[in-house]
Amino acid sequence: MTLYILKRSLGAIVVMWAVATLVFFMLRLLPGDPLAAMMFDAGDPAAADVLRVKYGLDQPIYVQYWRWFTLMLQGDLGASIYGSRVPVSQILLEAAPRTLSLAFLSFIVAVIIAIPAGLVSALRRGRPVDHGVTFIAFVGLSMPDFWLGILLILLFAANLGWLPAIGYVPMSEGVWTWLSHLLMPAIAAGTAFSAIIARMVRSSMLEVLKTDFIRVAYAKGLKPNQVVMGHAFPNALIPVITVMGIAFGLLMASTVVVETVFAIKGLGRILIEGILNRDYPVVQGAILAVSFIFVFVNLLVDILYGVIDPRIRVQG
Amino acid sequence: MTDRTRSDLRSFMKQSWDEANDFDPADPMAGLNRSDLAGPQLGRRTVLRLLAASGALTATHLLPGAVPQAQAATGGTLRAGWSGVGELRTIDPAQINQVLLFQISSNVLSGLTHINPALQAEGDLALDWEVNGDGTEYTFNLREGVTFHNGDAFTADDVIYTYQRSKDPEKSIHSRVVANIKDIEKLGEHKVKIILGAPQASLLVKTLERSSGRAMTIVSRGAIESMGLSEYGLKAVGTGPFKVTDHQLGQSMTLERNEAYWDPNRPGVDKVIITPIIDPEPFAAAMEAGDIHISGGNPIPPELVDRFESNPDLVTSIIPGPGFQGIFMNPWRDPMKVTDFSKPVEELKKEKGFMVRLAIAKAIDRELYIRQAHFGRATPAYGTINPAMGYYYDDAIAATSEQRFDAEAAQAMLAEAGFPGGEGFPELRILCTASTRRDCLVIKNILKKNLGINIELDVKDFPVLLDEFRAMSFDLCRLGSGGDFDPDDGIVDWIQTESKFNGRDRNKDEMPFGWFSDPEVDRLVTEQSVTADPAARKALVQQANQISSDKVAQAFLYHPSDTMVWRKEVNFPDASRIPGLVDLDRVTLS
Amino acid sequence: MSATETVQRRTFAMVVRRDPRALAGAVFLAVLALAAIFAPWIAPHDPNAMDYMMMEEPSALHPLGVDDLGRDLLSRIIHGARVSLFVGIVTVGIALVLGVGMGILAGYYRGWIDTIIMRYIDLQWAFPNILIAVYLVAVFGTGLLNVMVAITLAYLDDFARIARGMTLQVKEELFVQAARSYGASDLLIMVRHILPNILAPVIVLATVSVSNAILAEAVLSFLGLGVSSDTPTWGLILSEARSFISRAWWLGVYPGLAIMLTVLAINFLGDALRDHLDVREGANL
Repeated sequence: MTLYILKRSLGAIVVMWAVATLVFFMLRLLPGDPLAAMMFDAGDPAAADVLRVKYGLDQPIYVQYWRWFTLMLQGDLGASIYGSRVPVSQILLEAAPRTLSLAFLSFIVAVIIAIPAGLVSALRRGRPVDHGVTFIAFVGLSMPDFWLGILLILLFAANLGWLPAIGYVPMSEGVWTWLSHLLMPAIAAGTAFSAIIARMVRSSMLEVLKTDFIRVAYAKGLKPNQVVMGHAFPNALIPVITVMGIAFGLLMASTVVVETVFAIKGLGRILIEGILNRDYPVVQGAILAVSFIFVFVNLLVDILYGVIDPRIRVQG
Repeated sequence: MTDRTRSDLRSFMKQSWDEANDFDPADPMAGLNRSDLAGPQLGRRTVLRLLAASGALTATHLLPGAVPQAQAATGGTLRAGWSGVGELRTIDPAQINQVLLFQISSNVLSGLTHINPALQAEGDLALDWEVNGDGTEYTFNLREGVTFHNGDAFTADDVIYTYQRSKDPEKSIHSRVVANIKDIEKLGEHKVKIILGAPQASLLVKTLERSSGRAMTIVSRGAIESMGLSEYGLKAVGTGPFKVTDHQLGQSMTLERNEAYWDPNRPGVDKVIITPIIDPEPFAAAMEAGDIHISGGNPIPPELVDRFESNPDLVTSIIPGPGFQGIFMNPWRDPMKVTDFSKPVEELKKEKGFMVRLAIAKAIDRELYIRQAHFGRATPAYGTINPAMGYYYDDAIAATSEQRFDAEAAQAMLAEAGFPGGEGFPELRILCTASTRRDCLVIKNILKKNLGINIELDVKDFPVLLDEFRAMSFDLCRLGSGGDFDPDDGIVDWIQTESKFNGRDRNKDEMPFGWFSDPEVDRLVTEQSVTADPAARKALVQQANQISSDKVAQAFLYHPSDTMVWRKEVNFPDASRIPGLVDLDRVTLS
Repeated sequence: MSATETVQRRTFAMVVRRDPRALAGAVFLAVLALAAIFAPWIAPHDPNAMDYMMMEEPSALHPLGVDDLGRDLLSRIIHGARVSLFVGIVTVGIALVLGVGMGILAGYYRGWIDTIIMRYIDLQWAFPNILIAVYLVAVFGTGLLNVMVAITLAYLDDFARIARGMTLQVKEELFVQAARSYGASDLLIMVRHILPNILAPVIVLATVSVSNAILAEAVLSFLGLGVSSDTPTWGLILSEARSFISRAWWLGVYPGLAIMLTVLAINFLGDALRDHLDVREGANL
């Protein structure tokens, strides 16, 4: 098991390194001078040249890469080059809780909706409820997350005034305030995820319900509720967890987009603004952070799955 | 510049300075009364003449606002929303590159001077000042007893430290602003002498100003050294009316009253919370719900202004904003090729390339354009000098400029240039960004309608647009300027041959100049920048503005409006309604 | 290939006849495709023609209302269908051809080709497609072509992965072994024997991918990273409308509805195909 985890971790690190390196070189090929843009309003093009030397952007690209890479290994991600010299690590540390809060809440909201829906759907197979749930799941899966966000704002913020349409408030300012700001973004980001999980729970449940194991349980005279919750459901969850891991990627991607709609300064927003400003260190840092979350979650799911189902370990 | 013009210039400067000094120095108030001082046009002139005449400007005693007034300090917390921005990146003046940031720093840090609503300079940390005969030495008496938010005393050393920091391009992005300052001498703990390389008309309004120039916005050495640069950027320590008590990047910034501020009557509120809100819709919702009391930051999108105006809980204040926007046309590309702008306009009008340029400029119905692209919230532009500059702005230019709208004349000109009804006209590309895209669609539509020509949008990220703009690799480019408080901002920076964005990275063999070059304009612009007498300066500024307009340095589009919105319970006095700024020190809550 | 085509056609007809949702999806897509093809004749107005009557409510003259520049929303949505469908179909088409090619090569030859291709697939596998598209547009820059390249690359790995996996299975089948013993060339085996037999899951994946690609274009445009000329796309129409939504709800509702209905129709069709071709659920993830 330890060997398996070690092997997988090493693979994850290699993936992150490859992504970071690719992004580093591809970014440098982009047209657009971040310093000139920054100096536009400040109005001193000559100063941009000085800054270019100071930030080492005049050096050959492999020198820049080596410097960036060695510093990164020491935990130094550099500092923003657009606007102010805020360290990238600080930017990321401040943004990460926002993105993670959003992703976490989306996950909770999605699972709370998806599991009962999937269960009901499976137990009432072919009935109107099943068709209804399936249809809604399809709609949820087909709805662009950012559009759903816009609709929610239109309804709950602009028309009804129930929820704030603005940004993010940390939990330290009150759990309800925090929650009220994140509720709509969480629904917008979590809907597609929820649809996938609901469908997965349904089909997984149907598979399990067909097995002899369940028939035996019924034969033993257990009540339907006991059979479903005590026997079928836990077994049906195993495949669902893998899918959750994969679909979590979708959820994270959604948060990137939804952050823009709800003006939450999370990792996604930082990434996109960094791209638009050509703020190389910030873009690199943000991609590294987002990649880290993905790779880490995938790894966690794999390990978790290994724990639940020992066969995987043997194959791995 | 040839030697002859240089000596002309010197004698001209001498003469204008003498004229400005033509007063009875014993009585600076001679012939002036309070209304002279209050008027937006005479005010500047009067003050400058006073300054030159008396040799001792005591602006604080003369101008409204600077006089400590009895004011009810009501306290309370003011919540401000900064529109169109996701985070308040820095308020370290040496790093600020956006208006929306110096709007904040102006509440936290001080300069030697500060502009008032008429864009005149008033004493801030400077109590008063004297100017020598040729306008190259300014001696400032500094306010005594002022302390930084961290408790350090403010002295002449801080002025010198700030200067040393700002002139170093490694430490400040504004080194150019203080390029004309040769030295600053410490004459006493609270007395400094600024020695200039050449007389400079914009010294008080720009260089020494705490918001527009930023280079001499006084920073705290002690705080910079103890906090480190990035922390100082987030929570700068100054001598201003408010101190930063909390700020995390991407979140609100909390300002609290500086109890030790030199004017005991200010600020009027105990606490200000500034929240960046990037999207218009949430911003509007927050404003309407009362989550925020007052607006700041990037200009409020014009589409929201109607909505705010019709809301009885809100006060909407619209004044001319400091800036201009236009379309740059590459004079090195057909069909708008003009390789020599020095000819008289009448001569130029016989050239096909110039006809095309003028036809484009004349075909834009600015009223309709503003109605559609900016929901009517802007002033038509015909030059770089904006109406917020009040005194220097030429009200008549809309009627006198060759660029004034005339669709028929434009069509005739285009036909004469060989493109009747737009026939055979090549498809030009207009460079723009995502934020000017909508605007360019409107222009495209107007040009199609009025001239029958087709332009294609070329939407680029801003850094790329700027690269191409500076390299002169564009047909048309949609760009402009904001935060232009002094005429220098409009003309030195934008219409001189050596202007900083005038094709800086072009191929100089193929293109001897960038997008515009006229020796006459260059001369006028240089002359005005060293002309102290406001009336004389005004004449030069307007002349340069007129020529660059007539010769179509750009097709000018509009001057943005400066719109502020606050809730009814906010008292925002006129004395603080400075174009482009959001000074909160006099604001009270009822 | 003609035999395969007939099979496909028959399959499609059967699927649609059996499943009312698939039928509805197919009808919707057919109507949409026709509208897109004949947009200039069908659209009631020029999609780019402006008017000074801005943000007018839906009316008889403008059934879906007027946008912030006085343009007819219905006409813009109809024209937008062109770009959205074009982007969706072309990107997935190219991704399919390249990805399946890569997958078959990797699965058939194994060895170093397989190693390289698998490394690439694993790298992309770590990230959701939409994020890869964002990364790629970040480095390529915005614009229609770049967006299409980014989306194509983002979806390439899915096809390669499935094709490789299926090839590994099919390769061991008796008829492939038989063909090889006849001395058939590798190319012939790959095209004649392997390709037709791995098509079912690829078709299912392609269907779902088209809907995802349409969404991806919309997302990129919405983030300001996408198509930004004056060609309307659904994502762009929504992105343009953003600041005006509270004053003109129709600007926020209809373009999104167009995206949703199209994606829904494709998903219904894809689901029915999956059931029919008996492709397991996990294949599209």
